[in-house]
Amino acid sequence: MMAGILWLLLAVMGGLAVLPLFASGYIISFTIQIFMWIALAGSWNLISGFTGYVSFGHVAFFGIGSYTGALLVTKAGWHWLPASLAGCVPAAALALLIGYPCLRLKGPYFAIAMLGLNEVVRALVSYFESFTGGGSGISLPPILSIAPVYYAMGGVAIAVTLLTYRIITSRFGLRLLSIREDEIAAETMGINTSLMKLYAFLLSALFPGIVGGLYAWYSSYIEPLSVFPLLTTITMIIMCLFGGKGTVLGPVLGAVLLSVFQELVWARFIFVHQAIFGALIVGVVLLMPRGIMGVLQERYRLPRAV
Amino acid sequence: MRRAFVLGLAGMWISLLVLYLAVGPTWGQEPIKIGASISLTGTYAKPGKYTQEGYLFCEKEINDKGGLLGRKVRFIIYDDKSDPLTAIKLYEKLITGDKVEQVMGPYSSPVTNAASTASEKYKKVMMASLASTTSIWERGFKYLFMTISPAEVYLEGLVELAAERGLKTIAVINEDTLFAKAAAKGTIELAKKKGMQVVFHEAYPKGTTDFSALLIKIKSLNPDVIAAGSYFDDAVATTRQMKELDVNPRMYGVTVGGDLPEFYQIQGKTAEYVYGSSQWEKTLPYPGIKEFVAAYEKMWNHEPSYHSAAGYGACQLLAEAIKRANSLDSEKIREQLLKLKIPTVFGDYQVDERGFQIAHKMVLLQWLDGKKVTVWPLHLAEGKPLYPTPPWKQR
Amino acid sequence: MMQVQITGTMLLQLVVSGLLAGGLYALVALGLSLVFGVMRVINLAHGALLMLGAYTTYWLFALFGLNPFLSLLVSVPMLFVVGAILQKLFVHRVVEAPELSSLLLTFGISIFIANVAMLAWSSDYRSVEFLTGSFILGQIAFSKPRLISFSVALGLTGLALLFLHRTKIGKAIRATSQHRDVAQICGINVRRIDMITFGLGAGLAGAGGSLVSIMFAVYPEMGLIYVFKSFLVVVLGGAGNYPGAFFGGLLLGLVEGLASLFLTAQLSEVIAYIFLVIVLLVRPAGLLGGRT
Repeated sequence: MMAGILWLLLAVMGGLAVLPLFASGYIISFTIQIFMWIALAGSWNLISGFTGYVSFGHVAFFGIGSYTGALLVTKAGWHWLPASLAGCVPAAALALLIGYPCLRLKGPYFAIAMLGLNEVVRALVSYFESFTGGGSGISLPPILSIAPVYYAMGGVAIAVTLLTYRIITSRFGLRLLSIREDEIAAETMGINTSLMKLYAFLLSALFPGIVGGLYAWYSSYIEPLSVFPLLTTITMIIMCLFGGKGTVLGPVLGAVLLSVFQELVWARFIFVHQAIFGALIVGVVLLMPRGIMGVLQERYRLPRAV
Repeated sequence: MRRAFVLGLAGMWISLLVLYLAVGPTWGQEPIKIGASISLTGTYAKPGKYTQEGYLFCEKEINDKGGLLGRKVRFIIYDDKSDPLTAIKLYEKLITGDKVEQVMGPYSSPVTNAASTASEKYKKVMMASLASTTSIWERGFKYLFMTISPAEVYLEGLVELAAERGLKTIAVINEDTLFAKAAAKGTIELAKKKGMQVVFHEAYPKGTTDFSALLIKIKSLNPDVIAAGSYFDDAVATTRQMKELDVNPRMYGVTVGGDLPEFYQIQGKTAEYVYGSSQWEKTLPYPGIKEFVAAYEKMWNHEPSYHSAAGYGACQLLAEAIKRANSLDSEKIREQLLKLKIPTVFGDYQVDERGFQIAHKMVLLQWLDGKKVTVWPLHLAEGKPLYPTPPWKQR
Repeated sequence: MMQVQITGTMLLQLVVSGLLAGGLYALVALGLSLVFGVMRVINLAHGALLMLGAYTTYWLFALFGLNPFLSLLVSVPMLFVVGAILQKLFVHRVVEAPELSSLLLTFGISIFIANVAMLAWSSDYRSVEFLTGSFILGQIAFSKPRLISFSVALGLTGLALLFLHRTKIGKAIRATSQHRDVAQICGINVRRIDMITFGLGAGLAGAGGSLVSIMFAVYPEMGLIYVFKSFLVVVLGGAGNYPGAFFGGLLLGLVEGLASLFLTAQLSEVIAYIFLVIVLLVRPAGLLGGRT
C-alpha cells in the first residue's frame, strides 16, 4: 500500500519537474500558486494541525518574509533566491519572540493575540517608511523567466510536506499530538509542552517566510495591505482543514483541490465567487471538520503517516 | 433503421454546408486580438467596469468604421479580481495561450505594475490606461505606455491658483497608500517650487474614520490651503469633520472623490467650495468629445466616467499607432507611440522616452451651486473659482 | 513643517471628540462581548451585521426620508431577527466548540453577506446626510451627529445593561455566561438563551451601523475595521464583562485620539494593536477584569 503511494508520488513529482518545459505560462503560474498554498497550508498544519493552537495571524510570517526578500533584493542587491531564503530568519525571530509569551495563552486568546500580532507587524512595517517604503510599497525588478520561481516554490512545498512526514513519524510528532489531545495530561507525562510548542511554532514560521520572499520576487510589487491580509490566513487554514489537518497529505490535497475549485468557480461565476468561497468555508467547518484525509483515514484504516 | 442513418448523415452535411456558407467567408480573416485583464470584481470593481466599457466601446467603434489594417478587432478581457498576482497569470494566458497581438493595461497602479512584467517579458506593447504612479515608469521598461496624468500632478491646479492669489501656507494630509502618497509628495514639491511653506504633512492609515486629531492640529496652524491625498470615503469624512471642528482654510482640495457626483449628492451644501481634481470631464473642449459621450450613453445607458474615457482614449492611441506603423510588430508600434503627439477624446498625449505621460493635463474643478465647474487650467476652464472659501459660520 | 503647539483647548477638544467616538465603539463592542461571553464564539461576522444595519438606515432614509434615528426602531429588531436566524441555522453548531470553528464559520458568513450586499447594492459609497456641524460650547465644538449618536449609544448600552441585570432573561444570559453547565442545571434553556444573545448582539451591531451611516461612508466592507476595534475593546474591558465593554470603548476612543494628537495617526494604529497583544499577554482577563 505504502509502496504504491510512493510510486504514485514519484510519478507526480516527475511530471511536475518537467512541466515548465511544455506547459503554457498560465499553467506554470497557476502551479506556482498551488505550490505556494501547499507550503502555507502545510506550515499552518505544523503548529495548528499538530498542537491545536490556532495561529490566526500566520500571514504575518509571510509578510515579514516578503519584506525581507524585497528589501534584500532592492536595497542590498542580493540575488532573489538567497534573499527569499533569508526571509525565514526574521520570521523565525518573530516566532521566537512572540511564541514564548503567547503560547502560554489559552485557546481563543492565543488566536486573537496572533490576529493582533499580524496587525502590529503590518502597522510597524507601514510606520517605518523610510526603511520599507511604508504605504507606497516596494517595487522589485521584473523577472524574465518564471521557471526558476516554479522550481523554488515547488522545492519549498516538497520541503514542508517532507518535514511534516518526518515529524508525524517521530516522537516529537507524537508529543505534539498529545498536546493537542490533552495538554495537561501531556504535561503530567513529563512532556515539556512549552518547548515543544515553541519548536513547532518556529518550524511553522520558517516556510511562510521563504514563500513570502518568493512571492515578492514573483509579483514584483508588495505593500503592507497586500502581504498581511487576514484572507490569506483564512485561506491557508481552510485548505488545511479541507484536506485534513494533522496529516501529511491533507494540506497538499486541500491546496490543490481548493485552488482548482476556486479557479473554476471564478471563471464561471465571476461576481459571486466570494460568496461561494464564504459558503464553502461554512460548509467545511460544519460538514467536514476532519477534512478529506481525516475521513479517508478512518474509513480505510490508513496509517497515521499519510 | 438504415434510412434514419442516411437521413441523419445527410442532415449533418447539409447543416455543415449551411454553416460554412454563413460563417465561412469571414473565417479567412482572423480578427486582431487585443488582450486585457480588468478588475471586474474586488476592490476596484466599479472603476474596472467603466474601463472595460471604454475598451469595448472602442472595439465596437473601430469595427463599425471598418476595422484596423483591414481586419476586425476583438478584445479578450478577463477578470483579475483587483489582484496583481492574478493579473500576471492572466496576461501570461492572454499572450501565450490566446496569442493576442498586443495588450491594454488593467485598472490601477499596483495591478499594472505587476501585469506589465508579463507583457514586457514577451515584448508586447501595453497601453497602460489607468496607472498613475511614476515609479512604474522608472524600471526601464520599453513597451509600456502611460495615458493618464501621474499622481504627483493631481493637485497642480490647486497649487497654481493658490500661488496666483499670493497664498503662503499649505497643509497636506494623505492616506498611507501608493497613489495618495505620491499625490501628496507631488503637491508638496509643486508648492515648494511656488515658494509656499508646507506647515503640516501627515499620513493616516487606510480605513481611518476619525480625523479629529489631524484637523485639530491643522486648525491650530491656520494654513491658507489644505490639500488631501485621499480617496472617496476619507474625503467625505474629512470634509464633514472640517465643518464640525470649524476649520477654515482659504482653499481646500482633494484628489480622488471630489470629482464624483456622489461627493455632492451625499453631502449637499457641505461640499460647496471644495476643489476636486479630475483626469477628464465630459464638458471639456477636447476633439470629438460630444459625439463620444452621446454614443457611449447609447451603448451603455449611462454617462462615461473618466475611466471609460481613459480606456477608450488609450485604445484609440494604440489603434492609431498600429495604423501609422501599418503593422502589428511591437517594435514598429513602439516607435510610433514614442513619437505620437495627438489629442484624443481623453485629452493630450505625449510621452517621454520612458513612456511616461507628459502632455495630459489634470483639471481642477470646484463645486459651485451644486455643480462641478472646471476652473483650471485656463484653456480648459468653464468658469472662475469662487475665492476665498467662506468660513463655515458664514454659510 | 511647523511644530504644533498643543494647547489646553486643543486637548479638551480632543478629549470630547475621542469620548464621543468611543461611545460608538462601546455600543458595537458590547454585542461582540455578549456573544463571546455566553457562547464562547468569536463572531467575525459582527462587522457584516453592522453593515446591514447601516444599509437599512441608508435605504429607509434614501427611499422614504425616514429620520435615521427613528430607523433604529427598524434596524435593531431586524438585525435581532437576522442574528437569531444565523444562530439557529449555523452558529449553534460551534457553540462551546474549539475557537477555530467559530472563527472560520463566522468569517465565512461575513464574506458571504458582504458579497451579497455588494451584488445587491454595488460597492458605491453611500452615506446619510442628516446632521452636520456642531454645537459650540465656549471654544469646544461638539459634533452634532457624534453627540447624538453618543447619546443614543449610551442609551442603548444602558438599556442593554439594564436588561441584563434586571430582567429574568437578562439574568439567565449572565448566568449562562458565567457558568454554562450550572445554568443548565438550574433549568435555563441555554439553547434559547444562545439564540436570544446572538440576536441581541446582532441588534447592537445593527444599531452601531445605523449610527455610523450618519457620520461615515457606507459600503459592503465597512464592517471589518469595526470588528478589529471591537476586539480591542473586548480585550481591554474583559470578555464577558459587559460594563467593562462600555468603559473599554470610551477608553479606546480616548487613547486613539490622544495618540493621534501627540504622535501621528499612523503611530496611533501601531500603539492600539501593540496594546492589544500586551494586554492579552499580561492580563487576559482584561484591564477591568472579566472572565478568563
